Amino acid sequence: MKTPGPWNKVAVVGAGMIRFGELFDQSYEQMAAGAWRACRESVDLGLDPSQVEAMFVATQRGTLWGQEGIGGNTVPSAIGLSGVPCTRIENACPTGSDAFRVGAMAVASGVHDVVLVIGVEKMRDKSAEEGLLARAAGGHPIYTRGESAPVLFAPFATRHMHEYGTTKEMLASVAVKNHYNGARDPFAHFQNEITVDQVLAAPEVCSPLGLLDCCPQTDGAAAVLLVSAERAQEFTDSPVYVAGFGVATDHPYLHEKQDYLGLLASRLASARAYEMAGIDPKQLDCAEVHDCFTITEILDIEDLGFCEKGTGGAFSAAGETAIGGSMPVNTSGGLLAKGHPIGATGIAQIIELWWQLREQAGPRQVALKNGYALQHNVGGRGSGVSVVNILTRNAK
Amino acid sequence: MSTPRECHSAVLSIGVAAPTLRLPVAQVAAGWGRAGGRGQVAVCGPSEDALTLAWLAARRAITAAGIPPEEIGGVWWGCTRPPFAEGPNLSFLSAALRLHPQSEAALLSGSPHAGIDALLAAADAVISGRVSTALVVASDSLLPALGSGLEAASGAGAVAVLLAAEGPASLGQVTTEWSPVLDRYRGDLETETREVYDGRLFREQVFLPLCQTVGSSLSADPSTRWSLPDPDGRLGRTLGERLGSIKVVSSAARSELGDTGAAAPLLGLAAALGEPGNLIALGFGGGRATALSIQVTSPVPGSSVVQQHLSGGREVTYTEALRCRGQLVASGETVEMAVPPGSAMFVRGSHEMLALLGARCLACATVNTPPNVHPTCIGCGAIEFEIIPLPLHGTVQTFVVNQTMPAPFVAPLPLLVLDLEDGSRISCQGASDGSDLYIGVPVELQLRRYALERGVPIYGYAALVATASDKTIERPST
Repeated sequence: MKTPGPWNKVAVVGAGMIRFGELFDQSYEQMAAGAWRACRESVDLGLDPSQVEAMFVATQRGTLWGQEGIGGNTVPSAIGLSGVPCTRIENACPTGSDAFRVGAMAVASGVHDVVLVIGVEKMRDKSAEEGLLARAAGGHPIYTRGESAPVLFAPFATRHMHEYGTTKEMLASVAVKNHYNGARDPFAHFQNEITVDQVLAAPEVCSPLGLLDCCPQTDGAAAVLLVSAERAQEFTDSPVYVAGFGVATDHPYLHEKQDYLGLLASRLASARAYEMAGIDPKQLDCAEVHDCFTITEILDIEDLGFCEKGTGGAFSAAGETAIGGSMPVNTSGGLLAKGHPIGATGIAQIIELWWQLREQAGPRQVALKNGYALQHNVGGRGSGVSVVNILTRNAK
Repeated sequence: MSTPRECHSAVLSIGVAAPTLRLPVAQVAAGWGRAGGRGQVAVCGPSEDALTLAWLAARRAITAAGIPPEEIGGVWWGCTRPPFAEGPNLSFLSAALRLHPQSEAALLSGSPHAGIDALLAAADAVISGRVSTALVVASDSLLPALGSGLEAASGAGAVAVLLAAEGPASLGQVTTEWSPVLDRYRGDLETETREVYDGRLFREQVFLPLCQTVGSSLSADPSTRWSLPDPDGRLGRTLGERLGSIKVVSSAARSELGDTGAAAPLLGLAAALGEPGNLIALGFGGGRATALSIQVTSPVPGSSVVQQHLSGGREVTYTEALRCRGQLVASGETVEMAVPPGSAMFVRGSHEMLALLGARCLACATVNTPPNVHPTCIGCGAIEFEIIPLPLHGTVQTFVVNQTMPAPFVAPLPLLVLDLEDGSRISCQGASDGSDLYIGVPVELQLRRYALERGVPIYGYAALVATASDKTIERPST
């Protein structure tokens, strides 16, 4: 791990997901089964289910969202793999991406050769008021009272706008771009384009963010198959390798941030991932980053090193992060358009990059130059946890 | 009887507090299909109650006197209806005022006479020499029965004075008289106060006889300024006429706030403490009336900003007032606090929330807030701390206004990150609608009710844009 990357001990040889959305007609278990089926069918040279040696299930909120059980034992049963070792991973908004990292480590350790990582989240079985919005009453009775999800990020928008002159139009450019991409992604929750004027005219959710600055509440499931790099060719001729990853934490209260201009956890996690992969941000062909709100993507592209701190708004408004831009970001539509079923989100981002690196992304395909792509999530109380995974199509 | 007794103690300072909302009485009348209705009454916003008003008035009085809170001997609180029918009214108020942990406290309650009762009890503690400084607080936020005449009169407000043996205003003669009669009434299972008597019966046989007896028992001259009870907006004037051509100074506070119950006698003469001369405060309630004379020799600290602290307020509709008073409640379930009021977390954390305490690292001086969830310094990793009171002034580092929350939250709800004066940082709610906030604006923190959770009030600090008067009065240079 300390040697120059890429790490490349683990390959992604299968990836599949269901269309995200308000899936009132599907149970948690049915969504999991759909993702597993898609993943299995994506393995070029075929997968016998008995080859799966272990599973990691990414579900953030367990029974709170109304599903029947938390995934550690319900998902193997639901997808026909009952008996297989299975562990549920929870790590706030990066739950899916951290399950991916843990799965990769399980393979790299040599304990398992074939691991399924599956993210499943039911966000809409309960009403919005009883679901994610109920977060406003969670945590400390005073210091986090009223802290619904936008409150984790909107204060950064207020300060970023004050400090750097970032405008609401710049924030809106993120939503417009991601909806444009979502309209070209058959798996996205929202597949419609929007305009800057529509974003600016949307009702205020949490100042300075309006409704279209915010990702929806989405049900979804996504799964990837990880194998040891040595055995990748048994499953596909075009594997994608895990080049590196990084995880970082920060203090949980909003008043404990170093500043309100960026997210320390993202900076630390990405620095670790770049080091492990042996690359710098300029070598990335594209990235899927955590855009739960428009401001989050602005902070991300600065914190991940795609542009200078303070210039994210202009960078985005100039189209640099569009599919044809210098650094395409969230070609899948991102959380803003594709949706944010928390446990599935990180896995679905990996899947988009898997398609991009295998040149299977259709109208969203970016030009591959260096063969590297980055996946990023950040969240939790005080946005105090971030996970970054870097993928590559380059064999070591 | 009506022979005055002497009450030898003195007022050191005064502070007053008014809630943020004002309800035009005409709106109440219109709500019931009636024409007319003059004046306005003060109404507590969703985060205000008799305890938060008491805190604010007391804090202003303490700061005006320039006395460290831990040196005050105790608090005597008069309140018709404290927030906890049974519960920690006094320990919560003492904690939030940062009084000494062994300070005295007494709660006088049950009728609007409680404010005068608190003043006299505190004076006795000073006279006896038991305490050198006594804090008197009188506050009320009345909940009138819907459709009753009380709706047009019931207001809210608070007043606090610090008493000592010597001071710029001396308490003098006191006369009390009682009569075993009902006036306003609220039974043990009732939530709202109602009237029981015919208006003329109450006026002629209950109110005026008691008040006239005690009022006329004190020596007064034409220059004496009076604070008179005025439960319905007319009785005060009638009483003044019956007492002769007296000079009534309480009508200003009455017309601004309505009937402030236990706070009314002292609130009515708070501004008058700024001018040397003789004053008489007359309190009434629960079948008792008391008159008390005060001689002002020099302006009492805090009196110059009384009018400023009572005026202003945002005008609300009858509907909004009903919602704020808890008399208009949405159907359906509300989202419960993740931490129930009965949890151990509140036993561990209540004092640090009420007194706004931080843990300052002995190694690097970083302030960690709240202390009980920070066993290790976020600045340097050290584990030894000094618990300190955090400053109640600071500036806005960043903020948002949350518009989207489930009930019982009410939008707009500002949420702020503050840089406090000592360099520490906290997050908190804002007490305004957020339209006055911007990065860098100076704010002050006030005790507010954050929630009424499973029926239990939960208190914490909320930020308001600091006013000029708070800068001069709350932060003396000494």
